[in-house]
Amino acid sequence: MNAPFYKFGAFGDEASLVIAFVIGTGFGFFLERSGFGSARKLTAQFYLDDLAVFKVMFTAIVTAMLGVFYLSWLGIMDLALVDLVTTNLWPQLVGGLVLGFGFVVGGYCPGTSLVAAVTGRIDGMVFVLGVLAGIFAFGEAFPLVKGFYESGDFGRLTLPQALHLPYGLVVFLVVVMAVGAFMGSGWVERRFARPAAER
Amino acid sequence: MRRMHWTLNRALAAAALLLGVAAIAGDPYRGSTVRIDTQELATIVSTEVDHVTPRELADWIIQGRTDYRLIDLSPAPDFAGYHIPTAENVPIALLPQVGLARDERIVLYSEGGIHSAQAWFLLKAQRYPGVYILLGGLEAWKDEVLHPVAPAAATPREDAAFERDAQVARFFGGGPRATTAAADAGAPLGSPAAPTAGIAPPRPPVAGSPAGSPAKKKRKEGC
Repeated sequence: MNAPFYKFGAFGDEASLVIAFVIGTGFGFFLERSGFGSARKLTAQFYLDDLAVFKVMFTAIVTAMLGVFYLSWLGIMDLALVDLVTTNLWPQLVGGLVLGFGFVVGGYCPGTSLVAAVTGRIDGMVFVLGVLAGIFAFGEAFPLVKGFYESGDFGRLTLPQALHLPYGLVVFLVVVMAVGAFMGSGWVERRFARPAAER
Repeated sequence: MRRMHWTLNRALAAAALLLGVAAIAGDPYRGSTVRIDTQELATIVSTEVDHVTPRELADWIIQGRTDYRLIDLSPAPDFAGYHIPTAENVPIALLPQVGLARDERIVLYSEGGIHSAQAWFLLKAQRYPGVYILLGGLEAWKDEVLHPVAPAAATPREDAAFERDAQVARFFGGGPRATTAAADAGAPLGSPAAPTAGIAPPRPPVAGSPAGSPAKKKRKEGC
């Protein structure tokens, strides 16, 4: 059996929705268990005294990268079949800034706001309403921003292509970067530690 | 000297580093040597699920669909002469090198159908899942879409269907032809400049022209 299962026709559209639901539920469960249903925990990374978000996300990236790399290398999965979002440099830079600004102000990102909302947090529910309003406004304004939305198109660009480095070397460098960042984040957390009363 | 204490975190970080070092020389993408499942390919061929008819393709282009890539396998000069709108030119010799993304629906065509069938096999062998062949190739495209033939002794329903075909033909800069003197002269009945004119009901064959004979000449230009 080869992966990705959907692309090789192991299951159809309807089954894929069920599988997406199961994976999404699992994702939400682990976000909640990591404490990411709390805006205090999430915004602590901007005060540099609790970098749990940074560490969890970087761990997920390294785990997925190594898994995908070795499964493909062993011939169990076909990496060329995995869908890639195209790189649109300028709109993605602006979009990242907008998302970061919303993260600092609202205390959540879209996924964690859903986790907060379903665990009964009112700020999470308000945030989800804001996300939905933003999606609606963007959809209605799309003809106005379409040109910018499609600008800076680099196609389906990967790091090995952009850096002109062998694929395996990029994997190694990302792992080194992650391990270095984990060690550095421990130091940063101790340096910027706040008394519990200030949190 | 202080002894290193192996917490779970450190063990995981060390495992990640080890896997990272081992990855340096590797490449997860596959090369040009492949193994094929002949039974799987034979099943696809016999069920004909890999065909796209010229009319289907015309509908996709008119609808402005972008969920497929149309690949013209002709040599560059032929491609420059005429190609189906939205097609990209990939001469068949370059096919293994152009790096088509495997997650796309790829529709292949060539002048007849042989090159597209061979290219289909090349891509299928490399486990491209969504490869399709334009049925009948460019010749069928010209016959069925660019210059459809008016049906002889048509029912009203057939007339309506032909009117739609004629509109599609004019969209692509062609025009319908009849099995009459007009077609023998090589002139299509309609033209892009006169979009409503020239959908004449089919006439009986003119004396001297063998009844039911196909049009002598296909228009090779005009788009």
